[in-house]
Amino acid sequence: MALLDIKNLSLYIDTGNESIKALDKVSLTLDEGEIRALVGESGSGKSLIVRSIIGALPSNWSIKADRINYKGQSLLGMSRSKRREVMRREIAVVFQEPTSALDPSVNIKEQIKESIPPELIDKKWFWQRSKQREQLAISLLHKVGIKNHQRYLDSYPHEIPTDVSQKIMIAMALASEPKILIADDSTRGMESTTKTQILRLLTKLNKTKKLAILFVSHDLLAITSMSHTMTVLYCGQTVESGKVKSLLKRPLHPYTKALLDSAPSFQVSLAPKSPLVALEGTIPTLQHLPTGCRLGPRCPNAKKDCVIAPVPRNIQEHYYSCHFPLHLPNVKKADREVHL
Amino acid sequence: MKPILDVKSIEYTYVSRRGFFSPEQKFHLGPISFHLNAGETIAIVGNNGSGKSLIAKALVGAIKPEKGEIVILDDDDIGQNSKFRTRAVRMILQHSVNSLNPALSIGSILNKPLQINSDLGVDQRREKIERTLVQVGLLREHYHFYRHMLSDGQQQRVALARALILDPKIIVADEPFAALDPSVRSQTVNLILKLQKELGLGFVFISHNIGIVRHISDRVLVVDRGKVIEEGSTQEVFANPQQAVTQKLVYSHFNLVEKHFSQM
Repeated sequence: MALLDIKNLSLYIDTGNESIKALDKVSLTLDEGEIRALVGESGSGKSLIVRSIIGALPSNWSIKADRINYKGQSLLGMSRSKRREVMRREIAVVFQEPTSALDPSVNIKEQIKESIPPELIDKKWFWQRSKQREQLAISLLHKVGIKNHQRYLDSYPHEIPTDVSQKIMIAMALASEPKILIADDSTRGMESTTKTQILRLLTKLNKTKKLAILFVSHDLLAITSMSHTMTVLYCGQTVESGKVKSLLKRPLHPYTKALLDSAPSFQVSLAPKSPLVALEGTIPTLQHLPTGCRLGPRCPNAKKDCVIAPVPRNIQEHYYSCHFPLHLPNVKKADREVHL
Repeated sequence: MKPILDVKSIEYTYVSRRGFFSPEQKFHLGPISFHLNAGETIAIVGNNGSGKSLIAKALVGAIKPEKGEIVILDDDDIGQNSKFRTRAVRMILQHSVNSLNPALSIGSILNKPLQINSDLGVDQRREKIERTLVQVGLLREHYHFYRHMLSDGQQQRVALARALILDPKIIVADEPFAALDPSVRSQTVNLILKLQKELGLGFVFISHNIGIVRHISDRVLVVDRGKVIEEGSTQEVFANPQQAVTQKLVYSHFNLVEKHFSQM
């Protein structure tokens, strides 16, 4: 059974005079021990999904979903305290921009100690407990590959390089021994050496602890080298999802294709300084979303039917939402009309 | 190939202090020498804190090197004053979005450098700004727009227009693509390649995205702890890296690429 199961999640943002549908029927599952990549550009709603899962929603946002289940229990129907408990112990989040997500006024040691749940401390007396906490904090740092812990324990977040604070964020997330780790854009703006380290760390955690990881990013290089499955988002709609292998081999949605083509490293026969493949235009803002398939105005194969939102279809666990999928020219016209 | 920029063993020491009584921390840059030809792209790569951005700052004149000199070669030798340098070398900043003043319209953002650095009249300036906007793929109407009305990609284009408005010979870009999304990034890369071809711009490009560096640069400079440790044509350096730092950078990138292809 899926560890995390999201079906038809829609998120509305109330701006006062209108209600914007920022997420449009997004479905997502995360199995035990799976690394799923959530791919999309900024403004595609990746972080909105993360916030819906953890329940950190401002009062003018509202969500509607068929289900958001964790291990079969509905997160939406859960009591507040129960949900907090699940979030504390089972699901951990590593936020974007680690240097600003850490508390600037408290040193690293205190922050890590605070993130260790009291259940894990079994010593009886307060001096022993405090000592145990500190030892746990140090072993957490070692776990994420920080060897000279003494150098960082007494520092404040602004004194630490970004990649180390990223590791510290991961260490804090792992303190509660979670089942799911949500890594929100963990490799953004890193050079390839540190990026490889972080990716290796996540892969190792996944293998040794069976940790399920939801890896939110738009760094395709990082995603394809690590994840098992991926879900591609565009403007709050899921455009394609399935095994990384099959998506790379045969992207069915034009957006996935464009995304893969945009990375120059993926094309072997690309002459230096030749123009790259790029979609025209830019991502629409939330106030001016096109109707139907939101890629419509930028899509090279857009036709008249695209003003109606496509229904997700699947071929062998490879889901896509497009009226005119690539590589599949013979989708039966009759079949399409049924959905229209 | 016509050389346009010659950097002769510049040195600079950056001194910082954590607290009033704590000891000074020194970072020594250089000596660094390289040259740039017209129409050529030179990429500066290296780990964080290796002094890449300091080189960029020295090139545009934001810091003054203690030793050595930076010579911009020009046919009509006007002399190496700062006014000439401002016109010849322009910079694109890392977060172009934050570098645009939200209170000014795009027109007045682009107007200021012209007003200070050229003797064009009001109408000529207006004409020039509109021409530059079209050149970077925006519309004439964007003259009246403000920062918040533009998308990420368009803001990046405005930043590029601001660099181009004085008809520079050299553009220095510090991580111009780091904050951009893949599809917008490809558009910007294409635009820069196109402009370089048309205008014969020299381009100094600082990045840690090895994939892009490999694609758009002719030569690479690998910097570590303030020193140039490896230099050469992009193909050579990436095919056969000599220094440990370069090897680590290059191999870690290619490992990821390899893993990608093994998935196919």
